[in-house]
Amino acid sequence: MDDNIQNRNVIESEVPMGTVHPAALEPYRVRLFVEDEIVRDAEITVGLNHRGVERIMEGLPVEKANSLTEKICGICSNSHIWNSCLVAEKALDIQVPERAKYIRIIMEELERLHSHFLYLAHGSEVLGHETFSMRLYYIRETVMDLLSMIGGNRVQYGASILGGIRPRCELDEMRLQQIKNGMDLLEERTTAFADRFVSDPMVMSRITGVGVISQKDALRLACTGPTLRATGVAKDLRTGMKEYDPFEFDVITQDGGDVKSQLLMRVLEIPESIKIIRQAIRELPKGPITNRSWEMRDVNLTKSYIEVPRGTLYHSYALEEGRVRNCVIRTPSMSNIGAMQLACIGYHITDAQLSIVQCDPCFTCTDRAIKIIEI
Amino acid sequence: MSLKSYSRGRAIHVMLVYTGGCNGCDIEIVNCIFSPKFDAEQYKVFLTWNPREADVLVVTGPVTKHTEKPLREIYDAIPEPKAVVAAGACALMGGVYKNIHGDIPSEEIAGPVDKIIPVDAKVPGCAVRPQDIVAGLVSALPLLLDAD
Repeated sequence: MDDNIQNRNVIESEVPMGTVHPAALEPYRVRLFVEDEIVRDAEITVGLNHRGVERIMEGLPVEKANSLTEKICGICSNSHIWNSCLVAEKALDIQVPERAKYIRIIMEELERLHSHFLYLAHGSEVLGHETFSMRLYYIRETVMDLLSMIGGNRVQYGASILGGIRPRCELDEMRLQQIKNGMDLLEERTTAFADRFVSDPMVMSRITGVGVISQKDALRLACTGPTLRATGVAKDLRTGMKEYDPFEFDVITQDGGDVKSQLLMRVLEIPESIKIIRQAIRELPKGPITNRSWEMRDVNLTKSYIEVPRGTLYHSYALEEGRVRNCVIRTPSMSNIGAMQLACIGYHITDAQLSIVQCDPCFTCTDRAIKIIEI
Repeated sequence: MSLKSYSRGRAIHVMLVYTGGCNGCDIEIVNCIFSPKFDAEQYKVFLTWNPREADVLVVTGPVTKHTEKPLREIYDAIPEPKAVVAAGACALMGGVYKNIHGDIPSEEIAGPVDKIIPVDAKVPGCAVRPQDIVAGLVSALPLLLDAD
């Protein structure tokens, strides 16, 4: 009995980060294998959010299927409906008027703003700094007011339809002035917050060098979006999308791949979105906002890729007699799962939650039935 | 009012459980308690993540098959007296996910919340507005304060 206690000086245990957890806003499960407070291995289980959206979309008329995709996620709702409309417009050769294209980009950049503020507020809450979290939620309210003014609802605003923009979302002089005032206010408050955040030694010491993902690992695991750009690779699909051709913006990268780089990525992407919205307001062309002169016919499988706040989004479906067939949706958080599992290995267990949340997971978008073709 | 009810009314703790919805309602609920604009904390309502010290349970999302068991276990772990608030269209009637087509039920959803645990207050909306959540919480409070 005494020999056993003397020889064994390492304790191995398994700590679950369970289905419902304060650091996670969706249900998922992580098993952390811990030895002496350092995490040696981790395993993530997803699939609790599976609701069968692709099965519901099979056989619906196209307009109804488009407005159903918006309900997949509450944070990135405009991205799903925009991409779904783009698939049908590409398949049926529908010309979208110029004014509608600009307004769609304004809505998408507003959504990127609200998503990044939510990420920063949630990250501060996981760090333990509730004051920063409350201040960020307050700054975010400016963006929510603008979204509910244009779309009618704070979450899931339904701006894009097949052929253009819903008539309620038309921007007249008063709304343009409100957006301009909102952008000025946001820029001033974000700069003040960023100064306070970066010059705080306690916060910086908790996030520097924690949860590092190397560039080689990120490329091997096929990460996308800000998670990949925080390791130094400058890949942003917005430079290749023809909707973004009239606008000028910079692609932000950071080196390091740790939590500090990921947080600074989002803080620096906010002024770029404000720049794009200001350009769009200044150069908004005149004209109609919907194009209703198109005809339905049967088409084969069509695909579309766009850049959303978390990475690259893929939608595809085929059309038969005006109804949707064979719909497949792949969200960016699915590509980033491998990086999340890798990032928490080798660090203290108290930093494990921060390393998982740094890649901005949105599992409500992700849970779909997948087929593994090659491992 | 007895001493217990008086002191209970000074610190109501709310626990949030998400069972597979789209996450829009969860963010609005965290917004209404944390954000200085809606601020339910001024009415002495706080957000906690520990079921053993909670008084009110707020449930969002249509309950998927995999999250039914955690929901029951959390409900059993909350000590009496407790109140349950179901928030959002998904928690009330399954939202857009309940039926595949017409009235063919989906195989992934184990039913809206009141098939699994008893519900005291219902808040409609998609997504719920923060003002309505505060109204729903306030309407469930007399159950806690009059118990005993």
